[in-house]
Amino acid sequence: MKPTRLRATLTGVALVPVLVWTLFPIYWITTASFKTELALYAKPPQWLFTPILDNYSRVLTNIPFFQYLKNSLVIAIGTTLGSLVLGTLAGYGFARFHFRASEAVRFLVLVTRMAPRMVLVVPYYLMMQRLGLLDTYTGLLVAYVSFALPFSIWLLIGFFVDVPLDVEEAAMIDGCSRLGVLLRIVIPIAAPGLVVAAIFAFLVSWNEFLFALILSGVEAKTLPVVIAGLNTDAGPLYGEMSAAAVMVMLPNIVMTLALQRYLVKGLTLGAVKG
Amino acid sequence: MRISRSFAGVAAALLVVLAIAPAADAPASAQGKTITLSMLAGYKEDVLRANLPEFEKKTGIKIVVDAAPFGDLYKKQLLSLSTGGRYDVLFMDEPWIPPLSEFLLPLNERMKTLDTADFIPTTVASGAFQGTQYAVPVDPNVQLLVYRKDLFEQKGLKPPATWDELLADARALHDPAKQQYGIAVTASSDIQTALYMLLAMWSYGAELVDGGKGSLNSAAGKKGGEVFLELLKYTPPNVKSYNFADVNKAVQLGQAAIAIQWASGAKPMEDKTRSSVAGKLGYTQVPKAVRQTPMRGVWTVGIAKNSANQDAAWQFATWLSGREFGQAAVTFPSATSAIHSPRFSVLKDPVTKAALPYADALLASLQITKERPRLREYADIQENLRVTAGKLTAGELTLEAALKEIDAGTNRILGK
Amino acid sequence: MAAGRAGRWFLLPGLVFLFAIDLIPLAYSGWVSFYNWWLVRPRDVRFVGLANYARFADDPEFTRAVVVTTLFTVGAVLVEFLAGLGLALLFAQPIKFLRPIRVLLLLPLFVVPVVGATMWRVIFHPELGVLNYYLGAVGLGPLPWLSDPRLALVSITLVDAWRTIPFMFLVMYAGLEVLPAELFEAAAVDGASRWQSFRHITVPLLTYIMLLAILIRGMDAFREFDIIFVLTGGGPGTATQTIQILNYRAFGLGHMGEANAIGIVTLIIVAVMCFVLMRAILRPQGARS
Repeated sequence: MKPTRLRATLTGVALVPVLVWTLFPIYWITTASFKTELALYAKPPQWLFTPILDNYSRVLTNIPFFQYLKNSLVIAIGTTLGSLVLGTLAGYGFARFHFRASEAVRFLVLVTRMAPRMVLVVPYYLMMQRLGLLDTYTGLLVAYVSFALPFSIWLLIGFFVDVPLDVEEAAMIDGCSRLGVLLRIVIPIAAPGLVVAAIFAFLVSWNEFLFALILSGVEAKTLPVVIAGLNTDAGPLYGEMSAAAVMVMLPNIVMTLALQRYLVKGLTLGAVKG
Repeated sequence: MRISRSFAGVAAALLVVLAIAPAADAPASAQGKTITLSMLAGYKEDVLRANLPEFEKKTGIKIVVDAAPFGDLYKKQLLSLSTGGRYDVLFMDEPWIPPLSEFLLPLNERMKTLDTADFIPTTVASGAFQGTQYAVPVDPNVQLLVYRKDLFEQKGLKPPATWDELLADARALHDPAKQQYGIAVTASSDIQTALYMLLAMWSYGAELVDGGKGSLNSAAGKKGGEVFLELLKYTPPNVKSYNFADVNKAVQLGQAAIAIQWASGAKPMEDKTRSSVAGKLGYTQVPKAVRQTPMRGVWTVGIAKNSANQDAAWQFATWLSGREFGQAAVTFPSATSAIHSPRFSVLKDPVTKAALPYADALLASLQITKERPRLREYADIQENLRVTAGKLTAGELTLEAALKEIDAGTNRILGK
Repeated sequence: MAAGRAGRWFLLPGLVFLFAIDLIPLAYSGWVSFYNWWLVRPRDVRFVGLANYARFADDPEFTRAVVVTTLFTVGAVLVEFLAGLGLALLFAQPIKFLRPIRVLLLLPLFVVPVVGATMWRVIFHPELGVLNYYLGAVGLGPLPWLSDPRLALVSITLVDAWRTIPFMFLVMYAGLEVLPAELFEAAAVDGASRWQSFRHITVPLLTYIMLLAILIRGMDAFREFDIIFVLTGGGPGTATQTIQILNYRAFGLGHMGEANAIGIVTLIIVAVMCFVLMRAILRPQGARS
């Protein structure tokens, strides 16, 4: 099924509006971070301009940006790892083991994700207050893993059931344990699913605002709260917000580039066994 | 088996993260006196942070700043205070004082040590509720009238003193073909819409709450509402989606000849990187009808009742409202805005006047300013006013129906 | 496969964690929804039974919010699903130049939501925005993006689509990537057309992933808040006032009973919608699970 040259050309043409639509706002944010506010609203719109670095220097000098960056990173990486481990185990459990209430429990997993966060935040706040975990990494980490987990579980079920049973059974006959099968056979085949679950979990934590606002304050404050603070009582500080948003975007891009090589076909069964 | 190895690595790393996380959370050291301040994020936080080291050096008191965005600060303070939270000092907008008063330390005795004569009296009142002082003023805000001196001169107009003059001037300066509009106000479901409308109604003598009941539905309220709606004929075409910042933009980019805006929006209008009309603006008091009622909104600091460091907290509060910090704040080199001192001595200082072209208008307005009803339920009442004003300007309600709905809402909230 | 006891050791850690962290607060909030609890008066907490729920029944504002929320959810999910699926199919073609472009398509996911919405507000600005500038230049504008009641709902849907099409794309693209290539090759040998192999191989095999993408997005769209709050604040008038905006208001004013009641009602609506959708899609197929 080799695509023809015509097909490739048509695909390229179809992509142009998609890319304009997707990237223009990001281009606008990026250039806004190098513009004065007057230039951002200039008529006609300024596509070429002399960049200024004031917005970046104000963000970096006025607020302890790197402290908050560290908080965000630690919590997001922790969330990603936590939800991957728990999600993989539970996803595999649901995919391979059936019990009487299996379906109902699965639906209940999804229900935990349906509750509006505004409703959960106060009881969760009181819980963490009792436990002395307000304004700590742990408090936020636990909340975010619980946000990411239902999707991880459900997504991974979908990928795990597609793994051919006979391959697993063969491995078990060869003396592999259940966990061994999961680690050596199932995960490599379902790698694209794990990548999606990882990116998703990272973003849940990275972009979350409400819980970070209510649960943290000084020590564990994350970037979304800091950036929301740039939307002041006298209006948004467009330049500073954009500069912060650009800096916040970079770790995401690095993470995605690192993960995306697993997001490919070609991890065929032969390669797995080898 | 690269993937399974990295998976095992992942699991190990998770354990490490979980193990080190508590270590990373160790609370700020309790040596010396440490005060936790609940602060508004943004430029006011910048001004504060820049000046804090001086206070800390002078007193040995350490200040931990917990800053939250404007839209969420009240919620966070309320939740924290009502569940025995850990703030010592709170930076509060004045309408929050009545609902939070339950959790705040009465300051009447301590106020006697303060040189209250230097404070503009209305700003002190902003920290009081039912005869008890709960907070001291730090940063007064009030509605001003902003106008383009150059355009007024061209047409030979004088700044409007009454609402009728304002309407006439806005009409005279309105030229949509040239993208030049008479006045910028909001007509969206933004809170500013409700406050503009209330200002006009107040000016004609109406009250939002009178004798414990909603009383906007009166001849005065109706007249004020009509004037407000009339004003919308001379605005940029899409004020139905405008908010506070858009009003500022309309002035800063030269589209609006007049605006009614809070003093906190004035500084960016004078900043050359944000405004094409810097230096061309005049500032005066909002127009009057039967009375002149610029609305007041003072940022104040209070002390939590359950604070373990009340003396240190008071020391900090007095420093924040003091002359030294006020003077440093008004001249702080921030383009966005400033903290405006509540003190005569600061606002009358020549250095202040040079830094803030609107200092005179600010001082004059603050002396005649009108406060919003001082009620625990005020936030609810204002929210009802906001929604209804939004429905009115969107054409979902007529003025008569809107006035009835506002009063009905007020009465429901007050349990009448 | 045998339903061996080993299963529980896979399931327990995640489920115990999840239910402890989420169901306890959820139960608490259900309990609070029967009380009149205003944070401003902490000593005056009263049990009021179903009073917090009863007021929704005759509150036109709430009914309207349900309608607005549903319109937004259906519109947004439909647009995002179709666009995401289309892009996933487009990118699943073995064409070389697609590989490096893939990550570009994901970029909107990485923009902090409040900044993305704020910048869209700048782009949409009726008098000063770049969009109306160029629309005006070609004679199509200016359009009242956020100030016309109907268009405002479309505008927030567009911004939501901008931010979440990448998510839809990613999920379905990953789903396509794990489909066994042998099936398609066999179909091609048998002379199946592209449409036939899409209809008879891709769709059935991708049903679960597609359903999941719709469910997750549907839940999130129903509870969308940031974008709407920044762009319109619920206006003009009440044109974009969703249930979440009402919830935010009750929560922000400290009315815990009312806020929790709104939350529980939202939860019930979402749960029922998800349940019905799952039944409708999974049953006829013979559920794979």
